[in-house]
Amino acid sequence: MQQGGNVERRTILKAAGASLAVAGLGATATACGGGSGSGDGTVTIRYSWWGADDRAERINKTIALFEKKYPKIKVKTDFQPYLDFWKKFNTQASGGNPPDVFQNAIGFLRKYDAKNVLLDLSEQVKAGHLSMDGFRAGLDKFGEIDGKLLGVPVGSNSMALVIDKPVYTRAGVTAEQGWTWDDFHAAMARIRDRTGRAGDSGMYGVMYLYDLYLRQNGKAFFTETGLGFTEADLTEWWTRAEKGVKSGVYADPRKVAQIKPKSALSAELAGSEFTWDNFTVRYTSEGKSEYGLAPIPTTDGKKTGQYLGSLMLSASKRTRHPEEVAQFIHFMVHDPEVAKIMGYDRGVPATQAQYDAYQPTDPVNKAIAAYEESLVKAGVLEPITPHPGGADICESAFLRIAEEMAMGKRSVDEAVKQFFTESKTALAG
Amino acid sequence: MGSAVTHAPAREGLAEDSVPRRGPAHSARPSASARRGRRENLAGYLFMSPWIAGFLLLTAGPMAASLYFAFTDYNLFDAPRWIGLDNFSEMFADPRWRHSVRITLWYVVIGTPVKLLAALGVALLLAQKRRGQAFYRAAFYAPSLIGASVSVAIVWKAIFSDDAIVDRTQQLFGIGAGGWTGDPDLIIYSLVALTVWQFGAPMVIFLAGLKQVPRELYEAADVDGAGKLRQFWNITLPMISPVLFFNVLLETIHSFQIFSSAYIVGGGAGGNACGPADGTMVYTCYLYVQGFENSRMGLASAMAWMLLVAVALVTAVLFWSQKRWVHYEEGGR
Repeated sequence: MQQGGNVERRTILKAAGASLAVAGLGATATACGGGSGSGDGTVTIRYSWWGADDRAERINKTIALFEKKYPKIKVKTDFQPYLDFWKKFNTQASGGNPPDVFQNAIGFLRKYDAKNVLLDLSEQVKAGHLSMDGFRAGLDKFGEIDGKLLGVPVGSNSMALVIDKPVYTRAGVTAEQGWTWDDFHAAMARIRDRTGRAGDSGMYGVMYLYDLYLRQNGKAFFTETGLGFTEADLTEWWTRAEKGVKSGVYADPRKVAQIKPKSALSAELAGSEFTWDNFTVRYTSEGKSEYGLAPIPTTDGKKTGQYLGSLMLSASKRTRHPEEVAQFIHFMVHDPEVAKIMGYDRGVPATQAQYDAYQPTDPVNKAIAAYEESLVKAGVLEPITPHPGGADICESAFLRIAEEMAMGKRSVDEAVKQFFTESKTALAG
Repeated sequence: MGSAVTHAPAREGLAEDSVPRRGPAHSARPSASARRGRRENLAGYLFMSPWIAGFLLLTAGPMAASLYFAFTDYNLFDAPRWIGLDNFSEMFADPRWRHSVRITLWYVVIGTPVKLLAALGVALLLAQKRRGQAFYRAAFYAPSLIGASVSVAIVWKAIFSDDAIVDRTQQLFGIGAGGWTGDPDLIIYSLVALTVWQFGAPMVIFLAGLKQVPRELYEAADVDGAGKLRQFWNITLPMISPVLFFNVLLETIHSFQIFSSAYIVGGGAGGNACGPADGTMVYTCYLYVQGFENSRMGLASAMAWMLLVAVALVTAVLFWSQKRWVHYEEGGR
């Protein structure tokens, strides 16, 4: 069919107009559907965290408690494993649709503050919806960056060596506060020889452990703006690791890769694993053995380089219900009942009230309490290492490149170089 | 102005040409019929508008945006910053990018031919007249219906992991490798196996092609004393070469875009995104990691366009090569 060009153009314009109108209608419809307030004053807030099923179960119980106390606030939840959580969060936040309140950690505060995602909760503290009183051990300052309150700690935790107790007993290995790295390596070899199991799951890729090692030697993983160690430092650390993997002191990385997201410790591939002390709770629900805590090895027989870490709750700047979110955070960090449900799942409760409310009765939580107490007694706790923006990307690059080195896909030198290249990009961005 | 006035009647006349003339009495009709035509056109566009809107908003718009982002530094949060070709030079200098290119090419070069060979072989068997062929056809086709799903990828991961069925079978022969999914060199072959297993779709196309080959060609070959192999080489293959070309093209393009199986078999939840030691870090996986894990949307967009260019080049080469080996019956050469 032959038609006049001007006719066609006009029709297209009309059609385009019509379709735009349709699209507009669609957009309005979605906007209405997305509203989280309803007529009777009930407000819905979205809450996401990372963790596994056992944490989800506990958190759901605490939310039920919260909704009972605040019948006008409904909480919608969502959780993923750690790495997936941040991918999803990043996408949601960049699309302007982050959860109203979410679990956070120190490594992410600067990053998301720079991107204007985090709500400064100090306004809500002033308004009386959230109290920052009654926190233990200076934890109330943990979420403060440049005078802004960006996160409220729910618990404190420290790095530890989580051990499979029967394996350690069978090997005849004991770990005491102040043991050295030489003691540690001898112990790992002994576990391998006596039990046929690798001593450790792969400490060489754990950024937070390497940080402690560096701190024992007067350095740290990060400075305020970049990396706090040299290529030579890392070469030394990974050269030792490469030997350990080859000799079977550390678990076979190929096996470890295949049992993810389960841990190498609970999958009985290794006799111990360096991680945060509260992970003992998860491993106990995941594995069949009995798990305990051992101290971090030292360089000089004294200094472990440890500090208190913390999981926090943060609110998003775009939330339409800052008041309700603040009330929610307040409830989660101060209510004694919440502490009884959560136990030490996210670390030892941050507030004194919650700390007193929960008296551990089972061996796992008792061990965590004893471990934290022993750190205070030994006086090894120091101020935390700074976490510049991009720290999270450095952490996952460290883990991945260490794995590549352990699997023999990169030489130690190549691995070190690759890590420095990638972290430079991450810390610049 | 003047030209527009003289132009309009000429156009009307053109439109009039397309309708049958009914004599001078109908000199007033042309404009009416043109109007009806316009109305029909309008209706047509209106019916098409959902598609047009979808195309503009969901395909053309985002593509144009990504072309722009490819030349910017864009982290999703701050406004994109124009950096020219920096993304591309960074890409080429990045060993991890080169690794992803290498591993993707390897997957395409191994996976596509093996898959097509399997498809052709089974199609040849199924083209014969036997009892129960319909059942076998359905059975061999089924995997390609479900093969791309996440659940199959999860099953695949389980099959190829440590001490699972594949590893146990290997152990029987004394060549246990401790599971393919934990081995950065072997894991890519589990993905190749997964794509080969889905040979049903090209097989069906081959079957259709085989049915088109005229019987009398074989009868003539029989009379001339040509063996089965000779018949396949000199009759079947040339006759189905257009179908073969189509399958090669489709599967190659498809293979370049592998993502979900690499992402899931290679780790998924809780671990590194794509495989132990980047063992399944295929191109699209790395694109995803840069875009969504490292928040580098500018770089990811540049990578996407690079992939498009590469696939277009490969397609062009395939089209160019068909002159040499694809045989069209009538005037197609």
